[in-house]
Amino acid sequence: MTAFRLEDWRAWAPGLESANDWRAWAQSPRAVPDDAQTQPSCAFLPALQRRRLSRLARMTLETAWPLCGDDEQLPFVFGSHHGETPQTLALLSDIVDGQPLSPTRFGLSVHNAIAGQWSILRGQRGESSAIAGEADTFEHAVLEGLLQLAAGAPSALVVVAEELPPPAYAPWIADVPFSYAVALRLGRTDTTMDASAHGDWQLRLERAEGDAPCARPHALDFLRAMLARDSSLQHTWKARRWNWRRIR
Amino acid sequence: MNTSTHTALEQEVAQLVIDTLNLEDLQATDIPPQQPLFGDGLGLDSVDALELALALQKRYDIRIASDDKDARRHFATVASLAAFVASQQAACAN
Repeated sequence: MTAFRLEDWRAWAPGLESANDWRAWAQSPRAVPDDAQTQPSCAFLPALQRRRLSRLARMTLETAWPLCGDDEQLPFVFGSHHGETPQTLALLSDIVDGQPLSPTRFGLSVHNAIAGQWSILRGQRGESSAIAGEADTFEHAVLEGLLQLAAGAPSALVVVAEELPPPAYAPWIADVPFSYAVALRLGRTDTTMDASAHGDWQLRLERAEGDAPCARPHALDFLRAMLARDSSLQHTWKARRWNWRRIR
Repeated sequence: MNTSTHTALEQEVAQLVIDTLNLEDLQATDIPPQQPLFGDGLGLDSVDALELALALQKRYDIRIASDDKDARRHFATVASLAAFVASQQAACAN
């Protein structure tokens, strides 16, 4: 099954929070300024529960939170190409300086930590995956969500989140112009239901040869195309060309 | 004596707890000196205790052995932590 109904979505970037913010952005996509500090409030959690949430965790929770009902159990896919580069650099810097490591930071320095925090804070006991791919991590994460649907889940949550890397990583990280999180709620296509306002989509992979990579992060480019009501888009990375098509 | 009033050191320790554990929205005066920090009090847990021990080490150069039987008592409240810090500083001054 590579077709799905996009049941709902949320996204966050510095200065872009509401659906209207993103609709305006989709009209003229641009890199937004990121001071590496601004973060979502996650006001739905008491302060004591927010204390161990990193910036990337807050971005993930802020976008995923409203997509899951209080009485639902949904498979959860967390995708991030680079993970928490600021946290990694802070830990490595402490090691270089001979300083003891923060137990909290160290304890949460695995790629699936944020998926674990989601599970704990939302009482989610089902499947969860944490994926790190290349520049097409978004497509791999959606594919994982589609596999959850194929395995029987009625809906699945997919969140792709990236954080602006500290300057030290600049020579190696070129695909994160600013911090962002995109959360999608995927459902099964069902022609007996009214069409989703966000569309039914099909994702297909084929072999690419010499195509130019996408100019903006794939998740954000999908969001742009979805909001602009484009009927198709292509994202190529190395030999992988991902074809997105709106089928309904 | 009003037990909800902080001494200067208690105020400092309460602020250290807030800053170290990233307790947004809380002020030092929101943590009464006698309120239990763990469990049913403020609600901190064992990872917070480790984090606090590290902060005390960095800020006051106080090392707490992992097998220190008195650690639980020292970490009980802001007041007991402040008393512990004061006793360690006094010991160093001698």
